[in-house]
Amino acid sequence: MSAQSVNTATIGSVRAMPADVQGDLNDQVRVERAMQSFAMDYGAMTALRLESCIHCGICADACHFYIATEDPQYTPVLKVEPFKQAYKREAGPFAFFFKLFGLKRRVTTGELGNWQHLLFDSCNMCGRCSLICPMGIDVSALIEQARRSMFDAGLAPAELYAKAKHQEQTGQPESSAEPYREKLQAIGKQHRVEIPMDKPQAEVMLCVPRTDIEHYPKAVAALARVMQHLSVACTFRSEGLVAENYGYYAGGRDWQRQISLKLIEQALACHAKMLVVPECGHAYTALRWEAAELYGKPLPFRVLHVTEYLAEQLDAGKLKLRRADSGAVTFHDPCQLVRKGGVMQAPRRLMQALGLDLHELENNRAFSYCCGGGGGVLDIKRAAPLRYRAMESKLREVDDTGAGTFLTSCSDCRATFDDAKAHFNWDKSPHSLLELVADNLG
Amino acid sequence: MELLEFARGPALKVALAVFCFGVSWRLVGTILLRYHRHLSVPRVGFFKSAMLGLLVGGSRSWPHPQFIKRTGYGEALGYSYHIGLFIVILFFAPHVLFIKSLFGVSWPVLSSSIITIIAVLTFTLLLAVLFRRLTYSVLRKLSNFDDYFSWFVTTLVIVTGLMATAHFGARYETLMAWHILSFDLLLIWYPFGKLMHAFYIFPSRMINGYFLARKGAPS
Amino acid sequence: MTTAKRLETIEDVLTANGVSRRTFLKFCITTASFMALAPSMSSVIAKELLKARRPSVIYLSFQECTGCLESLTRSYTPSIENMIFNMISLDYDDTLMAAAGKASEDALATAIKENYGHYLMVVDGSVPLGNGGVYNTQAGKSAVQILTDSAKGAAAIVCVGTCSSFGGIPFANPNPTGAVPISEIIKDKPIINVSGCPPIPAVITSTLVHYVTLGIPALDAHHRPLAFYGNTIHDRCYRRPFFDEGKFAKSFDDEGARNGWCLYELGCKGPTTYNACATVKWNEGTSFPIESGHPCLGCSEPNFWDRNGSFYAPLAAGLIGSVEPIGEAAGVGAAVGIAAAAVSRLRSRSKAKPHETEKQTSKEE
Repeated sequence: MSAQSVNTATIGSVRAMPADVQGDLNDQVRVERAMQSFAMDYGAMTALRLESCIHCGICADACHFYIATEDPQYTPVLKVEPFKQAYKREAGPFAFFFKLFGLKRRVTTGELGNWQHLLFDSCNMCGRCSLICPMGIDVSALIEQARRSMFDAGLAPAELYAKAKHQEQTGQPESSAEPYREKLQAIGKQHRVEIPMDKPQAEVMLCVPRTDIEHYPKAVAALARVMQHLSVACTFRSEGLVAENYGYYAGGRDWQRQISLKLIEQALACHAKMLVVPECGHAYTALRWEAAELYGKPLPFRVLHVTEYLAEQLDAGKLKLRRADSGAVTFHDPCQLVRKGGVMQAPRRLMQALGLDLHELENNRAFSYCCGGGGGVLDIKRAAPLRYRAMESKLREVDDTGAGTFLTSCSDCRATFDDAKAHFNWDKSPHSLLELVADNLG
Repeated sequence: MELLEFARGPALKVALAVFCFGVSWRLVGTILLRYHRHLSVPRVGFFKSAMLGLLVGGSRSWPHPQFIKRTGYGEALGYSYHIGLFIVILFFAPHVLFIKSLFGVSWPVLSSSIITIIAVLTFTLLLAVLFRRLTYSVLRKLSNFDDYFSWFVTTLVIVTGLMATAHFGARYETLMAWHILSFDLLLIWYPFGKLMHAFYIFPSRMINGYFLARKGAPS
Repeated sequence: MTTAKRLETIEDVLTANGVSRRTFLKFCITTASFMALAPSMSSVIAKELLKARRPSVIYLSFQECTGCLESLTRSYTPSIENMIFNMISLDYDDTLMAAAGKASEDALATAIKENYGHYLMVVDGSVPLGNGGVYNTQAGKSAVQILTDSAKGAAAIVCVGTCSSFGGIPFANPNPTGAVPISEIIKDKPIINVSGCPPIPAVITSTLVHYVTLGIPALDAHHRPLAFYGNTIHDRCYRRPFFDEGKFAKSFDDEGARNGWCLYELGCKGPTTYNACATVKWNEGTSFPIESGHPCLGCSEPNFWDRNGSFYAPLAAGLIGSVEPIGEAAGVGAAVGIAAAAVSRLRSRSKAKPHETEKQTSKEE
């Protein structure tokens, strides 16, 4: 992807790129669906955000895709441009004028296909643009809405659509040799820790990232071990095991709802007072901040990220930790936790209790750059070259801290960094904070 | 009727009416759209979130230090000409008298020479801002008719104002007529373009700030 | 205005009155400088003025207050300007002439007949056209009739005062008499407008001197001599530095007023008024309204009575009348906004149902 070929055409034109499509829809119908879906989904907040944009271009300065490539088509607010036009034409206060004078031309299917790349390949939904916008626009919320419209038009990226569909139907984003329930028990055996499964009553319900099941089984064991240490009545539920929500990534609102409902129903079934979200970023966003709306009423149990939960237990004196012997460490804040979730202090509380010598990244906490794989980007094969470009400065930041150990609290971030390690021949690998905690229980 | 009489009289009346009509329409048409209830349990209570949200109305004016290196120049240009415009509009004696004739309130003014210097600086900044919009790749890709026309109607007012003050180019009454007509044009365009950001900026910052604050997320 | 010995030229008049050449030349230099002519022009004025036959002047007054004539003849000592009035043959002026009634009408007819094509017509007052012109009549004839008849043989017309130049006070809203300026009625003669309410005496006399010696002076778009009406009061006002500094009197007799600050806030129309008051001033250079602490009314401009709203409203104020309609516009806008939002919400709700069923089918793919 050449960074120098700047497209100077008028707004609306981005480089033509082939798009994944679902279904056998007529092109015109596809566009109609996308526009209507957006118009249906908007409300006063969406309107306020779209009306407030003054085209200052500052959002580009927060986006690592733009910064890495200097390609203006990655300007965050440009990602929702067709939908801004749809809003003005269909739903805004002056819609009547726009229709009457034909002031906003209709988007073509080809253009919408190009926007698939902008919305899914070059956006992690990390919220950094929302933080920088001088008009206070939550750009990433608009992108979330735009993704839903793309999904409704059958224009989601193939990998995300497939995983979302599979998860909605089977509970797993992809099929595995043995079902996850069995895999979990195998991990428990291997690491010699009990995996409480399908208990009829529990105080805390647990779930697990499928990335951990597939790639980082030690983290699964760590979760079980810590819960055992706390002597808390907890359980996994086989009908609601996977923490990730591919419906959220793909923009399939109904599927997102179904997937979240599975976990909610299971938590209700075991009368849990709390649902602990494991080391995963977007799972937290989906469950803590979006599930209640999809459920239709406030959740009757608390939802906490595992680091939040453990920090609470630490402060209550129930969690005892030893000092860990790790030398200088640095920590990557998963964007969904820190910017969209509000979980910033909890991991640091744990690291403090572990006596870690923390060297913060240059852009840390609220300003932390996304790992590059968030929002489903890691799953989209064609996005890999762009993702690697965007990750370069993040890897440099980690190196610049001089820390030998690199921690994070999200399994998909770990997978992204490990993928980059292979690609760049990088000398570091991210470790799980949860595993470190489990290794140093006092 | 002379041009100046027309500009100050019927043209101004129509322009003010269109302005009030259009702004009202646009704001009401936006505010009354659907609101989604947030059913997730907030991390921070409503009152505190609201207070923090109000603060964001001001805090977004100053970029975070982590962003300043990249955004500083553009933001400085933008804020500077806004400040220049505010000073010229609000502290030049004839403008204060105009506002007094509409609303009955007035306040102390600055010396007209100082206003002239600031107006010239503001005009220079407006030129710089246009140049930037035309040459910076992100802005060139993003910009549309609204961006350029809003710039034009704003700059036209300040240019005609400077010409009138300097008695440059035509009889004073003609220059004054152009200045007031350009203001009329700005008033008429105002509700339909991005100049409305003056009304949107604080609600947008504050409401989005509230939603961030209730999550305990940084703003 | 007849004298025992008929004085043919102005030189005859000067000699008869014992005016020294030195005094006469001083007058010519002063006039030249008043008219913003080059110093060398003073000798041309001198030469032409001496030679000039006493031109016949008829002075017609219509809808006027006689203020312009008062201004013209205001003098406390016989002045050289008054001498000039012996230098023209003022063959008809209904205020000044001794004759009255039929005798004065005959004088007018005679003057016109004897000097047909050459006489200068000086007019003050506007001419009413309403109701066939009955609102101003002399000897049974309407003003418009007298004007048109008298103008036929005139070489040029000088309108003295804002009433004859632009309509003046009778022209002001509601203009019940249908008053119009002279230029609305006479289209085929050169017209010089010496506007003002009243004009400055020296402005009137200098214009007449210029006409008599050098012909019609350079005129602005309103046919006023540029020498006197080429700059605004604002351009020459001695209080201009205070305007520039932003120091204004906010009410009569406040600190600013007592300090002699700018009167812009009190409604001064100086910036849009073209006249010589700020330099030539009044009462032989004693003062002018601003110097006396009152804002300029703009009395030498067309429609000055109505065009700026109030005399005390600053020029910066809008002329929009009441602001209520504008507030109402906001209300109407809000109503339209409510309608737009309602339509929007209805449309979105109507899209919701069919869309959900469509989602079911896409799942089966």
